[in-house]
Amino acid sequence: MPTGAIVLEQVTHRFSLPRENREFTAVERVSFDVRGGEFVSIVGPSGCGKSTLLALVAGLVPVSEGRISLDGRPVAGVDPRLGFVFQRDALFPWKTVAQNVGLPLLFRGVAAEVARPRVADWIARIGLRGFERYHPHQLSGGMRKRVALAMTMVYEPEIVLMDEPFGALDVQTRNLMENDLLEIWSQFRRTVVFVTHDLEEAIALSDRIVVMTASPGRVKSIYTISLPRPRSVTEIRFHPDFGRLYETIWKDLKDEVRLGYERSQTGLLD
Amino acid sequence: MATSAARPVSWTEIRLWRAGLLAAFLLLWEVATRRAWVDPFFVSQPTVLATQIADWIRTGFIFRHLLVTMQETIIGFLLGTVLGVAVGFCFAHWEKLAHIFDPLMVALNAMPRVVLAPLFILWFGLGLLSKVVMVISLVFFVVFFSTYTGIREVDRDLVNNARLLGAGPRHLIRHVLLPSALTWIFASLRTSVGFALIGAVVGEYLGSHEGMGYVISYAESMFNATGVLAGLLVLMAAVIAIDLGLKRLDARFSYWKPVAK
Ligand SMILES: Nc1ncnc2c1ncn2[C@@H]1O[C@H](COP(=O)(O)OP(=O)(O)OP(=O)(O)O)[C@@H](O)[C@H]1O
Ligand SMILES: [Mg+2]
Repeated sequence: MPTGAIVLEQVTHRFSLPRENREFTAVERVSFDVRGGEFVSIVGPSGCGKSTLLALVAGLVPVSEGRISLDGRPVAGVDPRLGFVFQRDALFPWKTVAQNVGLPLLFRGVAAEVARPRVADWIARIGLRGFERYHPHQLSGGMRKRVALAMTMVYEPEIVLMDEPFGALDVQTRNLMENDLLEIWSQFRRTVVFVTHDLEEAIALSDRIVVMTASPGRVKSIYTISLPRPRSVTEIRFHPDFGRLYETIWKDLKDEVRLGYERSQTGLLD
Repeated sequence: MATSAARPVSWTEIRLWRAGLLAAFLLLWEVATRRAWVDPFFVSQPTVLATQIADWIRTGFIFRHLLVTMQETIIGFLLGTVLGVAVGFCFAHWEKLAHIFDPLMVALNAMPRVVLAPLFILWFGLGLLSKVVMVISLVFFVVFFSTYTGIREVDRDLVNNARLLGAGPRHLIRHVLLPSALTWIFASLRTSVGFALIGAVVGEYLGSHEGMGYVISYAESMFNATGVLAGLLVLMAAVIAIDLGLKRLDARFSYWKPVAK
């Protein structure tokens, strides 16, 4: 039984807006659970609280109400068993590729002799051999994403949270990276919670999909994706069930996206 | 034609222009004073200035004073920088501290240091100490403000990422906060070094018996325009040399930044 189970019970988060002297509810009474080793995607309109939800799970932001537990233990602050790939890649610009990838091992006090081969292994795995001494600004967007991924995977966290990791990439690079991710995931079988705007991406990658409502984000529905594995994201789209799943979930998501959009428009008029 | 496709600048041409203009200026100056269009008593004369500086170099007179000024500048600069970084760090770390002392810092920084110099001399004597204090009072604020902003402006995602990657408070300072602040400190380095030299020279000028400020002030009291101008020229050369060095250093330390084009 793999570890890395996440349980969210009635999780609410309110941001305080001190200047306007009120609170803003970003996510409201969210409940779902993720089994150890499962790949779950969260989709929902922009601004519905997906990033906030991940930050809550990661312990970066405290919950206002409800509880989140990892393997039965409630989240209290940042948990080192967790990995997080940010929406905007958060590489350390003053460190080289090799130093970036090795940083979590350094922080965790892993001896240099142990760390070095592991770093080299991951750099090879993400196809950046020969770029060890480059700095992030010398890499392309896709390469930076790969480094961010390696930096998270190198310490083999039990749970990996990913916030639209491939959102800024072109379609080809994106498909390549999605396949890489699936391969890594099937090898390591870590729990993955994957936030995305892109329903196709979510279907192609996930075991289950959580659809969220427009802000304040609540769970609208949860779908199980029983497409066969191992998958290739480019080929799975032609699976006969893919289109049906897409249609069903999109029907559900569409209203929320429109609602979210309309609200953001009126928000601009305030 | 109003196309913006700029022709590449020819640096040889620009250097020629610079040299030509400088030569013309010196020539005009020389001729004007020789023909007595302008009294050399007030503006000296290029050839006289050159002889004066050559004389200073030959006798070693100028090196003694330059050394004193540099000593004050460097000691004051280092102490001011260390203090500025330390206080900037503490303020960024303990926000309450920043709130409490914010008005004081702004008020202190608003004080014109040149006017304070006589007080420093009164308190700390005519020697090295009063100049060093003067330099610190100038450098500290530049470094303090850039450190403070550098740490406040550090990318929140980077800090969060570091924490998730397992960074303790020490790691955070060493691998995230300091490197981030360093870019700001370096960005203000040329300003703060310039301030340091000004502080030292002004301090000497107002009360001292050695250093470049003293050389200039002494010449001034003798109504010796040549001495004043020659002193200024030497200072100028020193500043240019330091600035070149800093440019190199800056390039060395900002290797990870894309070159701004
Ligand atoms: N620090 C904050 N203070 C106040 N409000 C915030 C803060 N961070 C986010 N919000 C608000 O919470 C809501 C959810 O934000 P969040 O970033 O979680 O959305 P998202 O679903 O990730 O959006 P996107 O898909 O565009 O990334 C937004 O309306 C946002 O304005
Ligand atoms: Mg987001």
